[in-house]
Amino acid sequence: MKAVFLLQWRRFYRKPLLVLAMFGLTVIFVSVTAAGGQSGPQMIPVYADKSMNNQQAQTWIERLNGGEQFQFELMSESEARSYVAEGDVSQAVNLLEADYRLLVGREDPARFALDSFLRRIYSEELRLENAEQTTPGIRSEMESALSEPALTLSVESLQGEEDSFQYNGQLQLLFGMTLFFVIYTIMFSLVRIVDEKRTGTWSRMIISPVRKWQMYLGHLGYSFLIGFSQITLIFLLFRFAFGFELGDRFWLLIAIAACYTFSIVALGLLIISLITKPQQLGAVIPIVATGMAMVGGAFWPIELVTNEILLAVSKALPITYGLQALTSVAVYGNGLQAVAIPLLLLLGFGSICMAIAIRLMEWRSAS
Amino acid sequence: MLETQQLTKKFKDTIAVDDVSLVLRQGESVGLLGPNGAGKSTAIAMISTLMKPSSGDVKLNGKSVLKKPGEMRRVLGVVPQKIALYEELSAYENLKFFGRLYGLSGNELEQRIDYVLELVGLADRKKELVKNYSGGMQRRVNLAAAMMHEPEVLIMDEPTVGIDPQSRNHLLETIRKLNQDEGMTVLYTSHYMEEVEKLCDRVYIMDHGKVIAEGTKEELKAILSDQETVLIDFDQNYPELFTKLSEIEGVQQATAEEHSLKLIIPKGTRLLAALFHEAERYGAQVVNVNVQTPTLEDVFLRLTGRKLRD
Repeated sequence: MKAVFLLQWRRFYRKPLLVLAMFGLTVIFVSVTAAGGQSGPQMIPVYADKSMNNQQAQTWIERLNGGEQFQFELMSESEARSYVAEGDVSQAVNLLEADYRLLVGREDPARFALDSFLRRIYSEELRLENAEQTTPGIRSEMESALSEPALTLSVESLQGEEDSFQYNGQLQLLFGMTLFFVIYTIMFSLVRIVDEKRTGTWSRMIISPVRKWQMYLGHLGYSFLIGFSQITLIFLLFRFAFGFELGDRFWLLIAIAACYTFSIVALGLLIISLITKPQQLGAVIPIVATGMAMVGGAFWPIELVTNEILLAVSKALPITYGLQALTSVAVYGNGLQAVAIPLLLLLGFGSICMAIAIRLMEWRSAS
Repeated sequence: MLETQQLTKKFKDTIAVDDVSLVLRQGESVGLLGPNGAGKSTAIAMISTLMKPSSGDVKLNGKSVLKKPGEMRRVLGVVPQKIALYEELSAYENLKFFGRLYGLSGNELEQRIDYVLELVGLADRKKELVKNYSGGMQRRVNLAAAMMHEPEVLIMDEPTVGIDPQSRNHLLETIRKLNQDEGMTVLYTSHYMEEVEKLCDRVYIMDHGKVIAEGTKEELKAILSDQETVLIDFDQNYPELFTKLSEIEGVQQATAEEHSLKLIIPKGTRLLAALFHEAERYGAQVVNVNVQTPTLEDVFLRLTGRKLRD
């Protein structure tokens, strides 16, 4: 096993480009995209439609700034457009009387959160306005009822913050892209098994005293370690060099990375046991990686997805649990107890995939 | 030392190897001869424990290796038909890896690498990447990798396919040395008759998955001992004349090849008069007539009705 494991590192030393490319892509993508982001509320330039007067616009701004995630600033249309055009912000909002428009300069995962937030506030406000037409004074009644509630409900978590959706654009991007790009690193490193079978070096190993499980373990050990190292190095880099707030439990993030890496190694093995031609794998791996990342919440928070089918599919993907666990620890400040279930699911998923894959490979070689 | 008993391999509806029994005695060099698709590689895959037979047995020193292949794997060196190496690594790195698979390490490993590189004549280029080697040099490393653990039996599956004559001679000379000077038992598979004639003491001839003849080279040639081969060269191709000549009484086998015709006839057959008479009738010019003793190629042709490289 040691010989097979060491050989993979020697081969990596000779051909490091793919792994370095995936590492570099993650760093570039996260650092460039997150550069526009900030850890505090995101500033959103707002300009009002001509049909609205300044008073109305100010009222809307006060209402919108009731949330914590975005800081809305009223300005002229030309100023707002200038912010977007120069890339200082990725989007601005055009307020209309009963609607809004988004002015988008570049794709930003926060757009979905912004859109969702605006839709909620607008729909609440418009409902209230409708109610006022039939019941004058309902707004003040509601405000006084809210300020002196008949019943106060407080929610406490055993660890961390209360369980409401908190969006942290930087960490969403960091975790999403890291878990996405590492899929390529791991799966393309596993393609070596297929390649060895094609070139005949696998047969050469089989007729040596090395046992088959040792051969697999040598390969899987390397794939695990290269993937795990990539995630760990990226987390370390962004924590210490870029100053990302990753919470107080860095060791738990590393433990989650290990469980996630294991599940992806196992999934990769399952894929190469089903598809045996390197050329086909070259096409299948990007489809699997991108599809999984889109549905599993690597490109935007899964909390924004409302489609029941997509949500159901996401429950079968390891990346969903990886992101859920990382976010739970880094954004909500939760501990091991809160992420135990996602971690067990990742380990269970990995074990099942690996068992099926090895059985399938053995069955193929025997037949 | 090594034997197969009624070895058979079936793939769905195809029988790739059919009831093949071979024996390799210690120190001898045995050829396994047959055209492409004869079942040689499948037979070798079963002998080397890479593939399980559908029926039959493989024995090493009288013990079956099918259930416990460990001992067989320790004494066997296999040179595959493909160049089974890591091309992005150097010859040295490849050999180091294959040596480690057999538990070699430290000085012992280094010395063995030096020895096999010397043996295949690549000691001075060991640091170069395999992908930068010529086809012949890659074949030599392919052999060296199988030699790392000092095997007692060396099985080679068409080790000279697609290489230049110089590398081929070097490889054949190396194999001859291993067999004659070091007493290594060799099973050599090829469809190049001259290689088998040069290297092997005994020969098995396979066709359509079966062993159709076996024996020493002399024994096999004795199959045609009462016959001789006449090779006639003409100034050009005469298909009708060739057909006519193949119908002359006594001709047992005729093979036309562009401007020449090869006839196998019983010894003492009076052929020349009829040959020149027919040539005259067709206006053909006979350039050369050569009477030969039969070769293994002729034996194969006689046994199978086709040439080795068909």
